[in-house]
Amino acid sequence: MKGFGHFPLILLSLVLFALLPFLPFGVWQAFLLDVGFFVLLFTALALSWDLVARTGQLSLAHGAFFGLGAYSAGLLAPQLGTLPALLLGALTAGAGALVLGSVTLRLHGLYFAIASLAFSEVLRTLALKLPFTGGPIGLPVPPPFAGAWPLATYYLSFGVLLLATALSLWAERSPFRLAQAATRQSEAVARVLGVRVVQVKLWSLLLGSLVAGLAGGVYGMKTLFLSPYDAFSLGRAVEALVIPIFGGLYTTLGPLVGGVVLVSLEQALRLWIKEGYLVVYGAILILVILFLPRGLVGILGRRRG
Amino acid sequence: MGKVVGFLVLLAGLAWAQVPLKVGVILPLSGASAVSGKAALNGIQLAADEANAAGKVRLELVVVDDGTDPAKAVPAFTKLMTVDKVDIVIGGLASGVTFALSGPVKQYGPLFLVIGAASSVVEQAFEGYPLFFHYHPWDYHNVAAALQFFQYLNREHGAKKVAILYEDGPFGSAGIGVYKQQLEKLGYQVQAEPFKAGSGQFTAILTRFRAFAPDILYWIGYDVDALPIATQARQVGLRPKLIYGAPPSWPIGFEKNPLSNDIAGMTAWLPTVANAESRRFVEAYRKKYGEVTEEYMAPMGYTILKSLALAAEKTGSADKNRIAEALAGLKMPTPFGLLSFKPSDTGRTKYQGFGSEIWFQFQYLQGSRRPVFPKEVATRPLRYPGEYYLR
Amino acid sequence: MELLLQTLLNGILMSGIYALVATGLALSLGVVGIVNFAHGEFLMMGAFLSYLLFAFRGMDPLLSLGLAFLAAFVVGALTYQGLIRPVLRAAELNQMLLTFGLSILLQNLALLLFGADTRVVAPPYQATTLSLGPFFLGVVPFGAFLLSLAILLMLQVFLTRSRFGLAMRAVSQNRLAPGLLGIEADKVYLLAFGLAAALAGVAGVMLSVMLYASPTVGFVFTLKSFAIVALAGLGNLKGVVPAALVLAMAEALVSTYLPGGGGLVEAVFFLVLFLALVGRAWRKA
Repeated sequence: MKGFGHFPLILLSLVLFALLPFLPFGVWQAFLLDVGFFVLLFTALALSWDLVARTGQLSLAHGAFFGLGAYSAGLLAPQLGTLPALLLGALTAGAGALVLGSVTLRLHGLYFAIASLAFSEVLRTLALKLPFTGGPIGLPVPPPFAGAWPLATYYLSFGVLLLATALSLWAERSPFRLAQAATRQSEAVARVLGVRVVQVKLWSLLLGSLVAGLAGGVYGMKTLFLSPYDAFSLGRAVEALVIPIFGGLYTTLGPLVGGVVLVSLEQALRLWIKEGYLVVYGAILILVILFLPRGLVGILGRRRG
Repeated sequence: MGKVVGFLVLLAGLAWAQVPLKVGVILPLSGASAVSGKAALNGIQLAADEANAAGKVRLELVVVDDGTDPAKAVPAFTKLMTVDKVDIVIGGLASGVTFALSGPVKQYGPLFLVIGAASSVVEQAFEGYPLFFHYHPWDYHNVAAALQFFQYLNREHGAKKVAILYEDGPFGSAGIGVYKQQLEKLGYQVQAEPFKAGSGQFTAILTRFRAFAPDILYWIGYDVDALPIATQARQVGLRPKLIYGAPPSWPIGFEKNPLSNDIAGMTAWLPTVANAESRRFVEAYRKKYGEVTEEYMAPMGYTILKSLALAAEKTGSADKNRIAEALAGLKMPTPFGLLSFKPSDTGRTKYQGFGSEIWFQFQYLQGSRRPVFPKEVATRPLRYPGEYYLR
Repeated sequence: MELLLQTLLNGILMSGIYALVATGLALSLGVVGIVNFAHGEFLMMGAFLSYLLFAFRGMDPLLSLGLAFLAAFVVGALTYQGLIRPVLRAAELNQMLLTFGLSILLQNLALLLFGADTRVVAPPYQATTLSLGPFFLGVVPFGAFLLSLAILLMLQVFLTRSRFGLAMRAVSQNRLAPGLLGIEADKVYLLAFGLAAALAGVAGVMLSVMLYASPTVGFVFTLKSFAIVALAGLGNLKGVVPAALVLAMAEALVSTYLPGGGGLVEAVFFLVLFLALVGRAWRKA
């Protein structure tokens, strides 16, 4: 249970995020809260990707789940209110995942990745063409709880991360972890071992997509506006995959650390370097792979022996 | 006595000049709109230099990059508000990003001087916000200006059929329904086809247009599509009498390409525009940056900061409400013509700077862009049909 | 009927460049085993090389072709030596992140150096068109198609006749047991990765004439190349050309015959790809 050994660290970071709005950062307070919002959200997305990746399914559909959740929640929020809309958004994403998952069960590795990418592109086009989505012009989204509570988006985002972390920890602690790992390493062997490969894969994809859909819904309520190219962006799917690799795959701590470091690093680089900051960002990704093959958590692991 | 008064005025001026006016600038310096964003920033910095050199106000710019991405723009804007503590913000170039800023803007309440964001969805988002100054025309202005040209083509040149190629993002698709309807009202037959910007593949659609035999090939897309459309129209044997485009910017070096000859387009400004302010701007720009810009966002940024400096000068105060008041009553010559604020056509926002009057039509003629319509600004007659038809 | 034939012709012409770019990707994937997200950036370099030589030396892009081949080969080889070789044994996902980082770095370096502007070249033959009866044939797309075909043929000869080529094919057919000495495998990898980059570089020059040069010109082609390679079957070099043909045809047919097809091209293509992948997987099992 290596991953679980980092439990105190995970707890500490969660507590820190919960208290962030009340910590004395002076003038930087509001800025850090805004950055914190996106850190939480994209970290949750990354965790949800990792949850799926643990079965060996390389998803490029997380942008699509995110978009499904965002659009459903955005469309439903004016009638149903914030929380029911978010819930239904997550369920829509989950339904999408079940459709994708059940037809791609036999695809592995890069084939699954490309198929999920194709799924994502098709859905984006649908969002662009369907009559009720606002099409290419976009969809305005109301703020959560009619804007009554300024910290609402932050804590919604925190809630999504909390859920993602809980799911990930559960998957790491329970026998589910072994089933996932066996499925990842060899489906044939896993079957022999009595693992219900199909169920494990579908459940992982479903859980991951629920979190991603939830994250999408909260995103729309922060940006107040959705467009197909933004909500279903391939870039977001790629970010969801970059963070876990950067932080450390198949763990809870990895995506958590990766998300916090990478998302805030990008914000910081953009503020201080301005032009060409992405050159440095790219170089950092390369250096991490070259020198920390197990991601950032590799450092922790080594120190502990 | 005169000397004393002059001295006192100078003294007052100096005292005022000691208090700098902090201005936040939030523009896309990376991402999809980076070309326009950088041009705008150049214009803004040039105007700031000029205003500071004149000595009547002291402007201090705090520049942040919105990355053409809501997730990056929102924190960057918050930083301007809370860390840099600016009361005045220039920005809002891409519509989607500007929409995302509507929440934080209402929360912090700065004087918001908007440089782009033509989508009227943005207008709805800022309805009722008292310190919203929108300089750029709205999309319905753009449509109106283009339609005026089409009406002229129909009446004077007998053009009857338009084939429209529009990119399927917000830029190309926002006004397409209105365009079609209005063109048909003018008596045009219209065929419209969407495409994906940057894919560079038009042969199939253009081949299909051939049967329709349009008088005008009208594309609403980006700079990346300009050359592929010009070449591929020829390659499939499509012979429109006019190729007309409306991208936010044109490719660098396109004017030197013989294929650009006789292609027409709409813009708000060209470096060759013959008004005194424009000439001054081009000269100053060349002096500071060593080159001439073709992007109309550069004089737009320049105009915004100029107007702000003038308003600040007039009130002699750094208070955003008083500056807004001065801006509202301002009449100022700019490279685009006279700037003054009035309520928008829809009545949703109170301070709209420019309207459809700043748009004009140009044509690539022998290696440079020349205004051809409307008559008041035309320096050359429109070549209709163009050489792509005459071949 | 005429429209159909012209449409098919358009599709065939476009498939050449697709095949060229995708073959490069298939080489790095099939032989070296690397999912190279930075493949499109090699293409972008070729396009900029062509633009810069044209703008500042007045050089015809035709002359840039060989230069771009060599330059991209060198860049590819250096990339292999410096970045890919250290991670050859790393997990697939790590390799992907590395090439993704490289892609971001190169794209933004270009952005820093040249700006985000779209740039175009203007050789005299850019829009020259042959008309064969009722059909039209752009000289540049036709030339690019022929050149792509020629390069792919030469590659085929190289792969089937030369020692290195045979070694490369052996590796691509069975990456686990190539039966090669370590040093030799290393050389094969180097060559394959360099060649992959070189193919993209050449395609970049062609695209600078047909489309434009900009820091992001490679992205669309990377995406489509991945689709083609997946359609062909990973590592299957021979399948690339037919797969490219299928993609190009699908695009041409959809945008010619479907109302509003221009906006649906990608969706239909990806739908076809999706069904093909899924269908094949279910049939196999």
